[in-house]
Amino acid sequence: MRTIEALPAQSAAPGEVKRPIAWARWLPAIGAGAVLAYLVLVPLLLMLVSSLRPGGFPLDPGWTFANYATVYGAAGFPRLVGTTIAFAIGSTALALALGIALAWLIERTDLPLRGTIRALVILPMATPPILLAIGWAMLLSPRTGFFNLLIRDVFGLAQSPFNVFSLGGMIFVEGLSLVPTTFLFLSPAFRNMDPSLEEAAITSGAGIGMLLRRILLPMLWPSILAAGAFLLIVCLVVFDIPGTLGMPARIFVLSTQIYYLAVDSPTGVPLYGQVSALAAFFLCILFVLGWAYHRLTRQAQRYRTITGKGFRPRLMRLGGWRWVAFAGVSAYFLLAVVAPLAILFWTSLMPYQTRVTWAALDLVTLDNHIDFFANRRVLEAAGNSLTVALVAATAVALISVVLAWLVVRAKIPGARLLDGLAFAPVAMPGVMLGVALVYVYLTLDLGFAVYGTIWIIAIAYVTHYVSFGTRLANGVMVQLHPELEEAGAASGASTVRVLRRITLPLIWPAVVAIWIWVVAHALRELSTALMLQGRGNVVVPTLLWDYWSGGEPNRAAAVGVWLVVALVIFLSLWQAVARSRLERSS
Amino acid sequence: MLTVSGLVKRYDTRRADAFAVRAVSFDVAQGEFFTLLGPSGCGKTTTLRSVAGLETPDSGEIAIDGVSVFSSAKGTVVPVAKRDIAMVFQSYAIWPHMTVRENVAFPLEAMGVNGAEAKRRIESALSIVGLTAFADRPAPMLSGGQQQRVALARAIVKQAKVLLLDEPLSNLDAKLREQMRVELRDLQRRIGTTAIYVTHDQDEALSLSDRIAVMKDGAIVELDTPQALYLRPRTTFTARFVGQADLLPCTVVERGADRLALDTPLGPLHSTVFPPGLDGTLALLVRPEHIEFRDGEAAFGRNMLGGVVQRVLFSGRLVEYVVQVGAAALRVQATSRSLKAEGDRVTLHLPPERCVVVAGDADS
Repeated sequence: MRTIEALPAQSAAPGEVKRPIAWARWLPAIGAGAVLAYLVLVPLLLMLVSSLRPGGFPLDPGWTFANYATVYGAAGFPRLVGTTIAFAIGSTALALALGIALAWLIERTDLPLRGTIRALVILPMATPPILLAIGWAMLLSPRTGFFNLLIRDVFGLAQSPFNVFSLGGMIFVEGLSLVPTTFLFLSPAFRNMDPSLEEAAITSGAGIGMLLRRILLPMLWPSILAAGAFLLIVCLVVFDIPGTLGMPARIFVLSTQIYYLAVDSPTGVPLYGQVSALAAFFLCILFVLGWAYHRLTRQAQRYRTITGKGFRPRLMRLGGWRWVAFAGVSAYFLLAVVAPLAILFWTSLMPYQTRVTWAALDLVTLDNHIDFFANRRVLEAAGNSLTVALVAATAVALISVVLAWLVVRAKIPGARLLDGLAFAPVAMPGVMLGVALVYVYLTLDLGFAVYGTIWIIAIAYVTHYVSFGTRLANGVMVQLHPELEEAGAASGASTVRVLRRITLPLIWPAVVAIWIWVVAHALRELSTALMLQGRGNVVVPTLLWDYWSGGEPNRAAAVGVWLVVALVIFLSLWQAVARSRLERSS
Repeated sequence: MLTVSGLVKRYDTRRADAFAVRAVSFDVAQGEFFTLLGPSGCGKTTTLRSVAGLETPDSGEIAIDGVSVFSSAKGTVVPVAKRDIAMVFQSYAIWPHMTVRENVAFPLEAMGVNGAEAKRRIESALSIVGLTAFADRPAPMLSGGQQQRVALARAIVKQAKVLLLDEPLSNLDAKLREQMRVELRDLQRRIGTTAIYVTHDQDEALSLSDRIAVMKDGAIVELDTPQALYLRPRTTFTARFVGQADLLPCTVVERGADRLALDTPLGPLHSTVFPPGLDGTLALLVRPEHIEFRDGEAAFGRNMLGGVVQRVLFSGRLVEYVVQVGAAALRVQATSRSLKAEGDRVTLHLPPERCVVVAGDADS
């Protein structure tokens, strides 16, 4: 269980025993490293090779830089980079602003109904970004958008005031969709701050302004920066919202451009070489950001002020602003959940797209919902989605726990490398991972078909979500006092028995939490599945995309409604588990 | 019962001076209560964890009851689970997902003891620590003292040859700590086990141990019985670390067979406790509670000093005085039976058998 430090040969003084390096202790590292390398490095490597092939496939003959020349020499390239960066920074800024405000209001003020609101923050997570985008397209499209028509009627405008199919629209919707993530990142930092630190400042004579400027912000800054870096990465790679709202207006960002070149290229043939060349460039940027994030979170750890003492955070009295703040929070929920889901529900009950009027109520029909349950393709998609989600979640939970134990507890040689490798996929755009896996399974002959089946999607999800799973598992493993396991060994139990009887039962809630999180996210993940789509592996999100981009918004809406229902069930499960874990630990 | 010899553990193999433990050796007899005492970072916990097998030393030998469990020369490293030890941890390490009984039963489960024998041993361990009534409580629903008892019960149920205790009382509040100290000593006597105890608390070490090894910077400085360490320390480090001490620089004026005449800042003094060799810098140790007030007597004669009370610190049972004697200040501790006031002229007697000459610099 414990590693033996190897003495470098030259430091062994005469008379001291030289211990031969035991190769056996490298075995776990090699085993875990092989699995991770297969999941993470092989796709990246093949992608790099393909970017240097004239034909764009790893096994094609010849080498060339033509793909790079074409991509980076293209007239639209600077604009593509500019749009991507503007989109990422804009969305991050919006999500941070709203997320910080929400975290502060909920954790540190006497906002009315704080408890309820905290439980509800999870709701927007049950709304997949693509549904949010579709909902907002229905609310703010220039021709038929509900809000646009409403404002035109009220103010007698000749033209629609808003167009969601724009960079601004994309930023608005993406920002909204990332608020829950921001909140989840920041609320522990707000909640766990030892109030005595603030009290010490106040008793030193600091006013509110000084308290905020000199104590609170500097202490929260590392957490905020880390959250910002994470959001920036997510916004740089995200596909759903730019795909739904940007592509119809021909506003491209990195991920949609990759999708366009691979699936919708002007020549009709996938331009894989160019896709790879483009991905290689962004991968560099993303790894820099990923590294920065890693550094920032390490710094945030240093500022961790959890003392283990039970304390109640000091709540700031908002006074007359209480209800203003409450109205603001309600407005957020209205925009992020209620309005988009309501219009989605309305549309799912309509035979075609109609304005929301009393008269239109006569048209209400359950056809789209009946179709959802009667259509064989839909049932197949639902079955595929569930299978992929369950398999991927189980694999991720297993891999994450084993890795966390090896990295945090056993401290095997090469632990940090393994940890970095497991975290790397967070910086891989879903579309890019999709393309890379296409290369892998069109190049490698495993003796059975993976390409075009649901298993290629499952592998993609495992790769992607291990980065999250290991974060959570590491966190729990760090909190587990090592003496709990040492007491097991001192009681005479073998390593296996200690793992089975002590370690696993104690981290079980975390395992369940990882599992449910992955299920919920795999059910809604679109971009990877879209890139890996074949004949036999349609999943619910790709079906939704097909209906939407194929001009069947009502059927898309019905699929969306049922997807939300499924996600709400899984996420309430997650909350229940999280709550029971809280109760047990207290 | 336990033999540790030449134990070396580096915490950084690249630095030549990065030793956690350097050449620690000691023997512990059957049934002995043996304590490793020292400030934090002195290597006491590393030594204990090496005996348990939770750390692997870089070199040395460890044998439990004649069975070698670690030997760098032979390359043997017996895993923790296979060593005949039981351990109580500083954090108690009570498994929160089990009841009290399940916690205590675990070592037996691991050793494959079950049925009536297991039941008997669990009940006996629980009754020894007085937790029979709490057997089916979930472990987290216990107070600190009760968790401590569970940890003890879990350790003694194994009936191992050696019981290892890593600062087991340091997480308890002062009152409970004193109570548990007595219970711990009784319990060890009753079950007759050999105990290795690690602490930084000198009171604990003195009241519990048969013998104490005082450690500093990864090495044992002195190893002796509590009485000897307290009354006849050989180094200034031990003198200071064990108990309150006033140390004064001194030089030997005259050496008799069992008596030294010294020159000190307090004036000439006699000592009957001194090391055989009198080389290097020496210091005179006087403990505040060993100094007697001799009211009404003149400040003449051997080891009699006249002074003025400078400061009085009244703490109820005891009273601490600072007495100015010539150019030096001396701490004196007395009971509250009779009190002195600041400015009182007093006569002090320093018994020669309590004036201890130790090696080392008085100011270091």
